[in-house]
Amino acid sequence: MTRPHNESALVATATILLTTIVVGASQQAPPSPPAGTPATIPAAIVAAAEKIANDPQVTALIKAQSTDAAAKARWNQFLELVRIPSPPRYEHLKAAEIHRRLVNDWGFSPEEVMTRAAGVIAGSDTNLVDGLPVYNACVVIKGSYAGRADAQQYMGQFPKVLVEGHIDVVNPEELPKSGDPSIRIKLQPYAQPVVATPEELAAIPDELSFDARGRVVEDDKYATASKVFADAKEAEAGGGVRIYVPGYGDMMPSTSNAFVLAAAMKRHHIKPVYDIWVCGTAGEEGKGNLAGVKQLYGFDQKAGTGSNPLNIVANFGLEGGGIVNFVGSYRFEMKFKAPFARPNGPSAPAAMAAAIAKIAEVKTPTDLQDGAPKTTYTVGRASCEPPQAPGMGVPSCTLEVDMRSTRKETLDVIRRAIEPTFQAGVSAENARHGRKDGSDEGIRLELMWYGLRPAFVADSVDNAAVHAGLQAGIQLGAISSPMVGTGSGSLNDNVPAHTGVPTYQFSLASSAAGAGGHAFWEWGTRGAPATEVSRMHRVLTAALIVAGFHTADGTVVQPSVGPNGKRTREVVR
Amino acid sequence: MTRLISLLAFVVVAVAGTPAFAQQSGGLRVEFQGPGGHSYGSYGRVSALHAAARAVILIQKALPSGSYQITNLTGGNSVNAIASDGLIELKLTAGSATAYQALVTAVTKAATEGAAAENAFRGVKTGDLTSGAPATIRSSVTQF
Repeated sequence: MTRPHNESALVATATILLTTIVVGASQQAPPSPPAGTPATIPAAIVAAAEKIANDPQVTALIKAQSTDAAAKARWNQFLELVRIPSPPRYEHLKAAEIHRRLVNDWGFSPEEVMTRAAGVIAGSDTNLVDGLPVYNACVVIKGSYAGRADAQQYMGQFPKVLVEGHIDVVNPEELPKSGDPSIRIKLQPYAQPVVATPEELAAIPDELSFDARGRVVEDDKYATASKVFADAKEAEAGGGVRIYVPGYGDMMPSTSNAFVLAAAMKRHHIKPVYDIWVCGTAGEEGKGNLAGVKQLYGFDQKAGTGSNPLNIVANFGLEGGGIVNFVGSYRFEMKFKAPFARPNGPSAPAAMAAAIAKIAEVKTPTDLQDGAPKTTYTVGRASCEPPQAPGMGVPSCTLEVDMRSTRKETLDVIRRAIEPTFQAGVSAENARHGRKDGSDEGIRLELMWYGLRPAFVADSVDNAAVHAGLQAGIQLGAISSPMVGTGSGSLNDNVPAHTGVPTYQFSLASSAAGAGGHAFWEWGTRGAPATEVSRMHRVLTAALIVAGFHTADGTVVQPSVGPNGKRTREVVR
Repeated sequence: MTRLISLLAFVVVAVAGTPAFAQQSGGLRVEFQGPGGHSYGSYGRVSALHAAARAVILIQKALPSGSYQITNLTGGNSVNAIASDGLIELKLTAGSATAYQALVTAVTKAATEGAAAENAFRGVKTGDLTSGAPATIRSSVTQF
């Protein structure tokens, strides 16, 4: 396992920063961090990137994806998948459609589909997360390694490389109880202002149509939505539209194209050495609690360790980033219970309001000082049970809060600021009615759920995934130097990184413009298809550098990483 | 059972103590709308739930005890998203139509001030935009 770099120095730095915050803002902010840290890429990786990127099988795949017909197929597939609602922990509709297409449309056999409708992966020791099944959708590109006489394995699992993008989306927050669950994809000219309310969004008259099989209808609205632009300015001038649909930005275009790439690898007989799994992962958003990658990496939340039961040796995330440090988060769901729910006694909604109002006044290091470790919180969702009878009080209310920071030390600081407000809200409401905490008629607090994204601070930018991701980009002209950003992200990658598995991120999407992520007004406008293709070329090259590749000339590019994946706990079956 | 009997007795006394012809009651929906956004990436935007909670505290200060009952407080759509919507539902009870209207006015004022406090805390004002969308919390009150 890779341990955080120079922990004592980190603690000292955090302490200094927080002390600075406490004593006042008169002191100067620390100097801006460098733009990046250079990786040292081995010569073998440079050679592998050149060989793979120019391999005739790979270039044939890329050429096939460069046609107008292929661009249209990718676009249509995205539109057809993004309209399937997929709230975190309720991704089964989208997973089912991906499973169906894998076998019926994309050329895979049922045996190559590694996930099951019930949310199970054979070989994982973590098929339930937070007590619920995990609706990942994964397919394998079989490698040759298992046929070697000297092949190594872990608990029956040969090494594999994971390429993943999440399939869950923040909105809608739950599946509809009945009727057609499909999301309406609204189209709005740029000349009109961005919608300000859900009602304005619903009132937009133009929308895409789909037939009974879920295929997009190629009418005039489709033609308008399908126009390609370089940026928002060009879209506005050229008759482009905002395409409103949850998941446009976060992150279905990239995930959908991951399956396009998988199908193309199958079609073009791309043969890696290690298996490559391409996954649409569940539970990246909201209360998903990173369920998808926790299943894949056997991450035990209580222990804070990952068993890596599938023996994954490298991870590639498709949500973008190109980073090696990961923001940790604590998430709480608290219930405020009113034992007797009297209309004139301590009130559950009032107690919850008191807690929220206290949280709303919290300032984090980010609010107080430039250059402090980014530290955030939000009261994401609140709800109350209705009174059980007219004239009665509210039985209970529930509150969900998210806290994040790039550093565990500052994350713990914000937790210490916010966690007590839950009880403080209860106490304030009880006191308002002359009740003591814990009394029969007082409001009580109950922890319903606790979510954890493990933070990770890398001690080095040099690992197999980073090298492959960077050098593939350099080889193909996407980047010019092997620089790794100093920023931190909050991604599925938190789990493999924390488990010790090297990880890197890029994107397979191409959007001209977009905004409103995680909000009801999430929208995007189609970007250049050629960008998608060049990104597919990079991801394919990077994955094959790490997994190894049987080239068209009969030689084998050997895997750049050994066959034993890292883990922080042994599998117990 | 003892508590249930006590509760029923209280309700009977409360109803009997107020002349039916003078009393007026009704429901209010106090809604808050904001831009929402990613809890981390969009941190610093205003929260409709924060505004709603601020308004509840102001309502408690402004309205006489027993004149209102909060029957719902809800909003937001995900733990990792800034709440773009917030809703308070209340039942109001007053001794006359005039007094009732005064309660509605007080709640409306509290809602406006709750939204204003949240906007001020995050330093946004009417007309500001965030990624093209209105940056502020707006409130509205409707009777039902």
